[in-house]
Amino acid sequence: MINFLTQEPQNPQEPPPWDGVAPPEIDTWGQLPKLASDFHDVDGLFYFTYAVCIFFFVLIVGVLAYSMVAHRRKTWDQPALSNFTHNTPLEVIWTVIPLIIVMIMFAWGFKGSLDMTTTPQAAKTNTYKATAKQWNWTFTYPNHPTPSFGEVYVVADKPVQFYLESTDVLHAFYVPQMRVKRDVIPGRFQSVWFTPHFTREHTGDGPRIETMHLFCAEYCGQDHSRMYAKVHVVEQDYFDTAPWDQWPADDAPLEDLVKAGEGLYKQQCISCHSVDGSPGTGPSWKGLFTKDANGEYVGRQREVLVGGAPQTITVDDAYITESIYDPEAKKVAEEPYVRNAMSVFKPDTIDERRVKGLIAFMKSLAD
Amino acid sequence: MSHDHHSVVVPAPGPEFVPHEVAHHFNTPVQEFQSGKLGFWLFLATEILLFGGLFAAYFYYHEMYPETFVQGGKQLDWKLGALNTSVLLLSSWTMAMGVRSAQTSQKKKTLMFLGLTVLGAAIFMVIKYIEYSAKNEHGLIEFAHLFDGYNEATGQLSWFTDHDGVMAGVPHGHMFFAIYLTMTAIHGLHVVIGAGLIIWVMFGTAKGRFHAGYFMPVDLVGLYWHLVDLIWIFLFPLLYLVP
Amino acid sequence: MTTQTPVIDAPTTPQAPREDYLNCSKGFMSWAGTLDHKRIGLMYLVGVGIAFLCGGLFALLVRLHLWEPEGMLFSNVDYNKIFTLHGAFMVFLFVIPAIPGSIGNMVLPLMVGAKDVALPRLNLLSFYLWLSGAVLATLAIIMGGFDTGWTFYAPYSIYTDQAVVTIGLAIFILGFSSIFTGLNFIVTVHKLRAPGMTWFRLPLFVWALYATSILQVLATPVLGITVLLVAFERLYNIGIFDPRLGGDPVLFEHFFWFYSHPAVYIMVLPAFGIVSELVSVHSRKPLFGYKLIAFSSLAIAIISFLVWGHHMFTSGQSTYAMFAFSFLTFFVAIPTAIKEFSWVATVWKGSVALNSPMLYTLAFLVIFAIGGLTGVILGALNVDLHLHDTYFVVAHFHYVMMGSIALAFFAGLHHWWPKMFGKMYNEALAKVACLIIFVGFNLTFLPQFIMGSRGMPRRYASYVPEYAPYHQASTIGALILGAGVALMVFYLVSSLFTGKKAKENQWGGVTLDWHTATPPVHLNFDEEPKVIHEVYDYSTLDMESLQRDAT
Repeated sequence: MINFLTQEPQNPQEPPPWDGVAPPEIDTWGQLPKLASDFHDVDGLFYFTYAVCIFFFVLIVGVLAYSMVAHRRKTWDQPALSNFTHNTPLEVIWTVIPLIIVMIMFAWGFKGSLDMTTTPQAAKTNTYKATAKQWNWTFTYPNHPTPSFGEVYVVADKPVQFYLESTDVLHAFYVPQMRVKRDVIPGRFQSVWFTPHFTREHTGDGPRIETMHLFCAEYCGQDHSRMYAKVHVVEQDYFDTAPWDQWPADDAPLEDLVKAGEGLYKQQCISCHSVDGSPGTGPSWKGLFTKDANGEYVGRQREVLVGGAPQTITVDDAYITESIYDPEAKKVAEEPYVRNAMSVFKPDTIDERRVKGLIAFMKSLAD
Repeated sequence: MSHDHHSVVVPAPGPEFVPHEVAHHFNTPVQEFQSGKLGFWLFLATEILLFGGLFAAYFYYHEMYPETFVQGGKQLDWKLGALNTSVLLLSSWTMAMGVRSAQTSQKKKTLMFLGLTVLGAAIFMVIKYIEYSAKNEHGLIEFAHLFDGYNEATGQLSWFTDHDGVMAGVPHGHMFFAIYLTMTAIHGLHVVIGAGLIIWVMFGTAKGRFHAGYFMPVDLVGLYWHLVDLIWIFLFPLLYLVP
Repeated sequence: MTTQTPVIDAPTTPQAPREDYLNCSKGFMSWAGTLDHKRIGLMYLVGVGIAFLCGGLFALLVRLHLWEPEGMLFSNVDYNKIFTLHGAFMVFLFVIPAIPGSIGNMVLPLMVGAKDVALPRLNLLSFYLWLSGAVLATLAIIMGGFDTGWTFYAPYSIYTDQAVVTIGLAIFILGFSSIFTGLNFIVTVHKLRAPGMTWFRLPLFVWALYATSILQVLATPVLGITVLLVAFERLYNIGIFDPRLGGDPVLFEHFFWFYSHPAVYIMVLPAFGIVSELVSVHSRKPLFGYKLIAFSSLAIAIISFLVWGHHMFTSGQSTYAMFAFSFLTFFVAIPTAIKEFSWVATVWKGSVALNSPMLYTLAFLVIFAIGGLTGVILGALNVDLHLHDTYFVVAHFHYVMMGSIALAFFAGLHHWWPKMFGKMYNEALAKVACLIIFVGFNLTFLPQFIMGSRGMPRRYASYVPEYAPYHQASTIGALILGAGVALMVFYLVSSLFTGKKAKENQWGGVTLDWHTATPPVHLNFDEEPKVIHEVYDYSTLDMESLQRDAT
């Protein structure tokens, strides 16, 4: 019964999803990452309020510190210097002035929020969809059929709107440098908009790409902290080459396909399936295939449940393809896998080419 | 230092009663009575807020799925509901009479009225059972499968089979019955608790503990019963009379 | 204010033990079945003290794990369970019940001049409800814990295969413990005040507990029904929070925060009350703006019901909702600011004794300034969209909950310790511990403001490496804070065994609690006090007996 602090399930062993992403530059006053959108009111109001807070803090601490020294009780019977309990001018000042200040803050904040929650027409014509699920992001583009996983490309200086949907629990779409955050609520559509800008000088010869952090900001379970995506701000020309849809062509060498498959595995499958045999929410991919004497890939046998009845099948391409599109069809007949549910992937999310890449990767793990 | 422990005692008005000893931290019986009453009203406020949350949920989903609530309300027998309402109203009257009888030190009458109130509670619960059975039969709330869960693959909720198809065509038909069950079951639980409290007070009455000098428990249990009645007065139209 | 009852003049010889509430009856049942509010207060103190230490242990585990960006100690699931337990234990088993249950129970009847609370058996029941809730919470851990966060957001809390129903039941029971305590205090203040104790002669701690009690009675039932509904969702799929069944997860958030925002005022108002008492006694000066402070507590209580939406600005609220909630959030800052300024004005030109209760109180005033002001930063709508669910919020609420409320609790403990036990702790160690706690606390949470505004989300088991220096500074601070707390526990507990005998009126207080024996007798007062002076009138201080005590 006591299974608190067990070691299962294991965490992914590989480098984190943000590996290689340079940290954002910090702004002049040191509290915020460099602003990459047009929501200057956030920064302005933040620092204004900060300054007001520091002012009142210094005032309060100053008065207290002075009093602690100057009005210290030196003998046990020392009375108070003064027994004043009222000072109407003082009371009026310290009620009215803070009231005025907070009303300014409220108005400024409200205006800023109206700006952020009213989507301009330009953004409406450039609408993406961000699909959140435990524990990764899938992005769909307005004019391109292929989605991207764990990263999204946006064009610099072009307003963009994201429709947000969740297929399971609450998540949140948070890009600190854009100052936007919105909860992603299952059963509802939300939207968020911003105009991305570059914040860094362009160095080097390659295409101008600035990668920013996208975090999930609503606790969603086990890998909430790994539910990361990269936001690539790029030029229009580079965007038009659809850099996320660089799946190897059908005649590309096998190792490119395996590498692409591995990349897709890390974005979509790694949170539940390990490759080293360790147990997870789903069965490990280790040992799916083995190599025979001729170096051909042969699938191993495994016990599955077909319609609840156990059956022994041989792993092959068809079985893997079916398990991706219809995971309930043949479930591995082992605890805890038989009780867990795999997300359903549709062909428009993972098309046949990508399935082939995953299979190629699985085969590359063969012993 | 000695405990200056002089207890205030309220004498018994007659041989069939016993005197009441005021609790040690109160100075007068009036202080004790007022404290008990204030405390109990505050407790009733918490009950109102508890049910308030349920009513809020009801209103929210009524707003979201109006057809479901109209259609669902049609499946309830408003005549049985009205009967239950009358039973509770009558039992509130007998309860009030019971309090009055205790206040005027009429032991037998107190027991009679309290007994009638408990009878009213029993009748209410029997009618409730009849209603729930009907829901069970029509597959609207299958109690045997209540805790069997939701099948995500088929979209089938274990206790809502609706085999007569009366909720076809409205969105999320089960929602009305889920809320109906939760609200009426929690209310029913309070009816049972109230009946239990009244029986407890009946025991005390039989022993002669309650009389003109001390009838606070009868009074407070009476307040509880009136609240239980009041909550039903709101439940009835919202659930039964919407169509 | 003085009473016509003479100050206890201790006619017995110094060695003969007087009969007081601690020794007047012995044996397990005399404690387990006690109706004495002072004994119940002590039992609460032990209970919430243990809960605080457990919650603190979870916190240390959290901070140690976060030393490394990839997480140093636990798997993600286990880390998630630990931070959830830290939050749940601290909020439900410590911060909400601690001050009313322990210090409130001990002191409130004394301050109004009563023999006990109005409903002593209900008081004992409140304690056993707390204990039951604590046992159930522990059971939930044994059953494998839960990782939903202390806020139990749906639908994750409905889907997750963990001990949610158990902890939900624990919270329901704890809720009733809180409700009954509040109910009891309201009746006590209304009905059991001594003759001459008018409303405006009540000490401000009583006003604070009164306002808290109103919140406890009116807000907690909503939490009760919320956890019940989550439990029902899990048990028989009502569907009201489950989007698969047509439910709305945001409705859960509304239900939850409708209680939990007033809850934070249930937590902080008693702390404000303690601070009000201590700044007056230790400056030997009446409170500045007594009526303002009293009414501001009520104002805060009322307005607190209207601001819950500021926890949900990112959930896609309507413009009207955002307007109203942000506006009222700024509004509620004003009575709080008035309190802070009034306390500072009370200290000003007083006779400021820098003993350990006062040092903890001064620490509160500094830390609460930061905590309250950063709340103002979060009230601005567009700024909140950036800061919500980041470490900035974590730092804000720890400044208020740990740095302010816990510190006020410590201050109150140090202040009333001699009264409760008749023993004094080691004052030098107390000052050292206060300093360690102050430094450790700020080192723990100041870096969290910075990394939060720079984008570090909360509830993360692993993080982007650029935040590592801040996490590491925070972890070092937590270890220092833990050391300070450990020192405090050590000298407080040892004072019970080896502490010096306390003075009759250790600090020169003039409220009725300081007119009882030290420790008080079973029924508090030998004769019912009759109040003839205004509250905080230090001219009534019996300087001769203080002098006798001082020599």
